[in-house]
Amino acid sequence: MLAMSAIGSAQDAPAAPPGGRGGAPTAGYPPYARPTTTFVPPKTPDGQPDISGLYLAIPLPRGIETPLVPLANRSPNRANSEFSFSINERPKLPEGAIARPVGVDPPDGKIPLTPEALARRKEIIANQEKIEYLDGRVLCLSTGVPRSTIPAPVVGYQIFQKPGAVVIFYEQNHLYRTIPTDGRAPLDPNIRKAMGVSRGHWEGNVLVVEVTNFTNNLGNNWVIGAISATPGVPAESLTTGHGIPHSDQYKVTERYTPIDASTIHYEAKLEDPKVFTQPWTIAYYAFARAPKDYVPVEYACFEGNDKNLLLMTNTDISGIRVNVP
Amino acid sequence: MRKPIAAVGATVLALSMGATNGGLAQAQRGAAPRMPAAQTTSAYNGPRTPDRKPDLNGIWQVLNSAHWNIEAHSASEGIPAGFSVVEGGTIPYQPWALAKRNENFQNRLIADPIRKCYLPGVPRATYLPFPFEITQTPKHIAVAYEFAHATRTIFLDGTAHLEDLDFWMGDARGKWDGDILVVDTVSLGDKTWFDEAGNFHSDALKVTERFTPIDATHLNYEATIDDAKVFTRPWTMSMIVYRRLEKDLELLDYECAEHVYEKLFKKPGGKP
Repeated sequence: MLAMSAIGSAQDAPAAPPGGRGGAPTAGYPPYARPTTTFVPPKTPDGQPDISGLYLAIPLPRGIETPLVPLANRSPNRANSEFSFSINERPKLPEGAIARPVGVDPPDGKIPLTPEALARRKEIIANQEKIEYLDGRVLCLSTGVPRSTIPAPVVGYQIFQKPGAVVIFYEQNHLYRTIPTDGRAPLDPNIRKAMGVSRGHWEGNVLVVEVTNFTNNLGNNWVIGAISATPGVPAESLTTGHGIPHSDQYKVTERYTPIDASTIHYEAKLEDPKVFTQPWTIAYYAFARAPKDYVPVEYACFEGNDKNLLLMTNTDISGIRVNVP
Repeated sequence: MRKPIAAVGATVLALSMGATNGGLAQAQRGAAPRMPAAQTTSAYNGPRTPDRKPDLNGIWQVLNSAHWNIEAHSASEGIPAGFSVVEGGTIPYQPWALAKRNENFQNRLIADPIRKCYLPGVPRATYLPFPFEITQTPKHIAVAYEFAHATRTIFLDGTAHLEDLDFWMGDARGKWDGDILVVDTVSLGDKTWFDEAGNFHSDALKVTERFTPIDATHLNYEATIDDAKVFTRPWTMSMIVYRRLEKDLELLDYECAEHVYEKLFKKPGGKP
């Protein structure tokens, strides 16, 4: 509720000073306001707003959390190493959009970790050479939500729509989600999925998705993540999302807002009473329609990753076999 | 394909009669005369999409034992017996390749790529003992598989193959032939198997699949395997794909890689 009221105040009174948990307000940026648009997307044959298509991630101007320096002092094309990729033409922000840190609530942009979660984060950062503490993305595990929506080296997103569902195929690690929009009941909490269980509905032209039932059998499923902790930066600084696994109570509420014919804005509120002291929210312009010649290709992550893990952690997984029914 | 519709009838007949493999072959030999092209004679009267194609949206699953062995086999521990899904019963291996298959079979518990959680390839993804979900648009058949969150995007937009590449799930381009979805898949690499019994292919593999809707809840699935490096001639497997009808069904997870790490981390000192 704190999160929503803070967003609401940002929308209602843009000139108000940012509040927060006592941390320094985000310097140099206006308070976050949900983007408003007069754009009306076309309709699918069954009457959903049609946001289908092939999109590319819009590069984030910096990491997930509070910037260490104001954006204006950094090269506009500089991307955080986690969020860099190489294509000839990078997707751009829509006309008039402001680039700002993606952590929008609390207004200081810091992830509101519980003391236990911060201690866990320090433990993870201190043990990075061990495979048990590696980032789930490096292990080629499914990256969950919202992390799968954060730009990664592989950036294609195919959105399909059919009656009663929106389906997203992520080029990254061939992940996918089916988001039912047919009002079905939640799944039994005993059923867990690495990408969570999604329940969506349309609020006007905005796709709102509640995601719950996340897998919690490994500690490597981090909610945000970065390939590695920034060298020399203490864990308390929270300058990256490195090392924050969620608990069994993790819940994400996403909003996909079509801004114009080619851009989707993304907002995600993250809640987990065992990990965060309050809900917190990230928001950014996430997807731009891909150029016509962009072809999504297979990103087979786990296949062959054993050599990578051997080099990184001196752990040989090549002999492990699992039962398939 | 050689005899698409006739094979549908024969397979349905054989399964419904609980026929032996010999019976299946006999049924195929004695099947009704080949029917003409589907554009004029499709018997499909199930639901259609707004663009008037058979509506394949939904969750589907194969119910046979081809995942363990696409040829006829008796039961073994944990593995149900099964008919051959191969037309004619036996895969036409070149002699060296038959020896290689037999070696694979001996080593299957270690060598089957599925047990390393690698992507299952085509056509094996279709007949894994897991459901898959089809999302259909005028330009795509998007297939999401419950096993290892594998996916295929079958492009129906007339675009050309990505040739001579090496993808676990291949590069798939499809078209509607009347009411039959025909999919050509290339760039499949040489690392996947057709089943747990070690049946294999080379990087010359090309797969042509035909999804023939029988009614709203059944598809006949055929995959023609063309690989001149391994087989003496192209050959075809066929089976029925069933629509899962449970209310509010959705795909769940078999996150295979997670189970690798669970095994690893459960070693002494491994659990963080």
